[in-house]
Amino acid sequence: LDCHLFSHCLFIFCTVWACLCITAQQISKAMSDIKILQFAPFESFVSPTFWHKLAELKLDYDRLSDTKRSIYGYYTNRKASGCLLEVDYSAYNSEAQTPKFSHAANGSIYNKNTIEEFKALDKTSLLADEGKQLLDDMRNGRALNDASLLTRFFVLSFADLKCHSYYYWFAFPCPLTPALELLTSPTKLKEMPNSGTYVEAICVLPAHAQNFFILHVNEQAKVCEALSLSDALGKFDEQQAQHYIYCFADPSEYENPAWLMRNYVALLFQKCPTLIGKSLKFLGLRYDQQMQLDNSLMWQVRQSEACNYEQVQFVGWEANRNGKMGPRMANMRDSMDPAKLAENSINLNLKLMKWRLVPDLNLDILANTKCLLFGAGTLGCAVARNLLSWGFKHITLMDSGKVGYSNPVRQSLYTHSDAVAGNCMKATTAAARLLEINPSAVTKGYVLEIPMPGHTVGEALRAQTEQHLQRIEEEVLAHDVIFLLTDSRESRWLPTLLGAANQKIVMNAALGFDSYLVMRHGSTRQLIGDCNRNVEGLKCISGQQLGCYFCNDVTAPGNSLKDRTLDQQCTVTRPGVSNIAASYAVELLVALLQHPQRELAPAYYANTRQQTEVQQPEGLLGILPHSIRGMLCNYENILPATQKFAQCIACSERVLAAYRSEGHEFLFKTFETAKYLEDLTGISEFKRLNSEIIDFDDNEFDMSDNEDDDDN
Amino acid sequence: MSDSMTWLEFLSQAKGFLAISSKLNDSWQLIEKDKHEPNTFLKYAQKVKYKDELINVEYHIVYSISYQVPMLYLQAHRSDGGLLDIEATWNLFMPEMPRSDLYQMLTQMEHPVLFRPFMTLHPCRTCEILSQFGKQSTNLILTFISIYGPYVKLELSNSYGLINEENEKYEMKM
Repeated sequence: LDCHLFSHCLFIFCTVWACLCITAQQISKAMSDIKILQFAPFESFVSPTFWHKLAELKLDYDRLSDTKRSIYGYYTNRKASGCLLEVDYSAYNSEAQTPKFSHAANGSIYNKNTIEEFKALDKTSLLADEGKQLLDDMRNGRALNDASLLTRFFVLSFADLKCHSYYYWFAFPCPLTPALELLTSPTKLKEMPNSGTYVEAICVLPAHAQNFFILHVNEQAKVCEALSLSDALGKFDEQQAQHYIYCFADPSEYENPAWLMRNYVALLFQKCPTLIGKSLKFLGLRYDQQMQLDNSLMWQVRQSEACNYEQVQFVGWEANRNGKMGPRMANMRDSMDPAKLAENSINLNLKLMKWRLVPDLNLDILANTKCLLFGAGTLGCAVARNLLSWGFKHITLMDSGKVGYSNPVRQSLYTHSDAVAGNCMKATTAAARLLEINPSAVTKGYVLEIPMPGHTVGEALRAQTEQHLQRIEEEVLAHDVIFLLTDSRESRWLPTLLGAANQKIVMNAALGFDSYLVMRHGSTRQLIGDCNRNVEGLKCISGQQLGCYFCNDVTAPGNSLKDRTLDQQCTVTRPGVSNIAASYAVELLVALLQHPQRELAPAYYANTRQQTEVQQPEGLLGILPHSIRGMLCNYENILPATQKFAQCIACSERVLAAYRSEGHEFLFKTFETAKYLEDLTGISEFKRLNSEIIDFDDNEFDMSDNEDDDDN
Repeated sequence: MSDSMTWLEFLSQAKGFLAISSKLNDSWQLIEKDKHEPNTFLKYAQKVKYKDELINVEYHIVYSISYQVPMLYLQAHRSDGGLLDIEATWNLFMPEMPRSDLYQMLTQMEHPVLFRPFMTLHPCRTCEILSQFGKQSTNLILTFISIYGPYVKLELSNSYGLINEENEKYEMKM
């Protein structure tokens, strides 16, 4: 917290503290060998559950009310560390509930509604008010009957429930009474001759009554008994008081007694003014782990001046961690913000993978890589979820569709009620769902049509298409990876082109009825140096030389939705196919991102079928194939790698050059007619010459057309 | 010889351990959360000094149904209530151990009774370790804490062992 916040009050505290010091100094100057008893100030110690409960009370009960609340704290004098006053969730109970070996402290909390009120509150008068109540309790006898009222504290706080930040300042009010002269150096109980009888008398008292009591020790009369404050001070006997030892549970681990002794002293002199000027014995009880009192300390003191309680000042605000008079701030996000809890747990799962299995895994790369998904259908949903699992945080989806009744069972980010609502757009609904799954993700959804070659844009739609085009271009630029997950071949053309033009990583997944294709497009990024490792028996294609989705085809994408029966158009895939393909796509991307050359990593394939035994070079997470083609009917994958096609209608230099120079104008020409692309690249020529190559891949895997037509 | 234990064995040994603790004036507590078993665990808290700062460490001995052994869960917080993360927790206990060893041992898991993330010492070898531990102890929880505790500054006084031995002798006479 800004330490200047409270500088205006600081001044006042300094003057008060200065007074204290001057008094002490004056006395010590006057009588050079006089020692002044000093006290160990309380240190607040807050359990996270104290904040949990405060947040709950503020939200469910107090709401806008900021009246003060009574609370309880506790301190222990067994094996004490520091000089602590602790609070936990039980502080707000109607009765004090102290842990074993602890004593109750009485307090209140002033929880303000705004940080401004917290800052502006007059700290001096608040302390004075609390101090006066304390004096009242001493005067009217309440503190005699319930000695825990002497251990006083209050908390000024402001709970920023949105940020899970708690601003707080503890005070342990105490009247600024004249100094106590220390007559002898403190003595340990075990060094005192009659310690055994003392301990016997003390042990008679029940634990809760040991906070403040008086030991009446008269050796001549052979008396050693423990008296409660009300018994001993209620009807004060000056004669008998000569034999009193004023005992208290001392939570201090230091040579100095705990702060609470100041209030004890104040009570005594107020109740029994005749004690002023007399030598008094105070015994601070300190238990060790074995519950022995050996280390308890006795101080013999004298207060020479009386105190004017009407005009007394009060001290007790706690210094903060820098030793300055000011509040503290607890950031509880890690334990209270559900989003942060989720984030930490997700990261932990991933980190365990790194710590235990793959020490060189770079998780930051994944968290910082921005993914743009074209298509928010079966593949889009599955890819997005797999990305979340890997700790990707930036996911943007584009889709023009609404959630329909048939979608939720396969498209894992939608529910039936989305379909019933009738107006839930897939892109935005998916983006919102991703946030519900991981609130710390950064997701966006855009409802838009991807313009396609051969799908003529009418004049009426020109402006809208223009707009969508611009949005798509901007988003491609703003992301690192582009996923092609749409349900038609031609809708993949524009993203393929934009990915190639902007040197993005492009991942492609397409489905057939029981087959799938997952591939990484060849990169257009410049390869620096030749890092390809040639392996005997394997053909190596550098990342820059790998083909794209369209490189293997020699037709421009036309209207593939035309002249198809319903079962050919969409939705007819075995359900597992999309999950398999989506998983491969994300795993391949992760493997690629972990490779030192990233998308420029070469792909290898066997020259002949006999040599498939040759070990392929591996990245951190195994080999990096160009494409994975698999079939569910025989549960087999093959990993073909293919070269870039110089006349490709999507990624060839001619197409990229036309896009760079003509921009949207070029694009609209292709939307008008796919033939334009064929002419531009010269494949119409090529097609006339020889069309056998077209079928090359399809001989092994008949999926060149089907793979596009799914329900993504 | 198997040193896994059933839930009921855990419960009765936890109570036995608690009895020793009370006898020794120690501050272990048995916390029973609700009626859904396994609902009970042993709890202990102490302050640990780390670079001039006091840290409160809360230890829970919880029954693991999957591993059928006791597990040590812990949570540490500063004086303002802020929790220590896994790295800070590790620094608190074993700053000189290499990172790679840390994650084999200290990890974050959901507390089986409280359903909140807690630090825990991984239980995968507890059974093995308990069975290697000399003669079979009548109180496996005492054995468990004595073996695992010192890694996380949880040291039982020798009196625990002595009292347990006395109990054993007494039981043998009966």
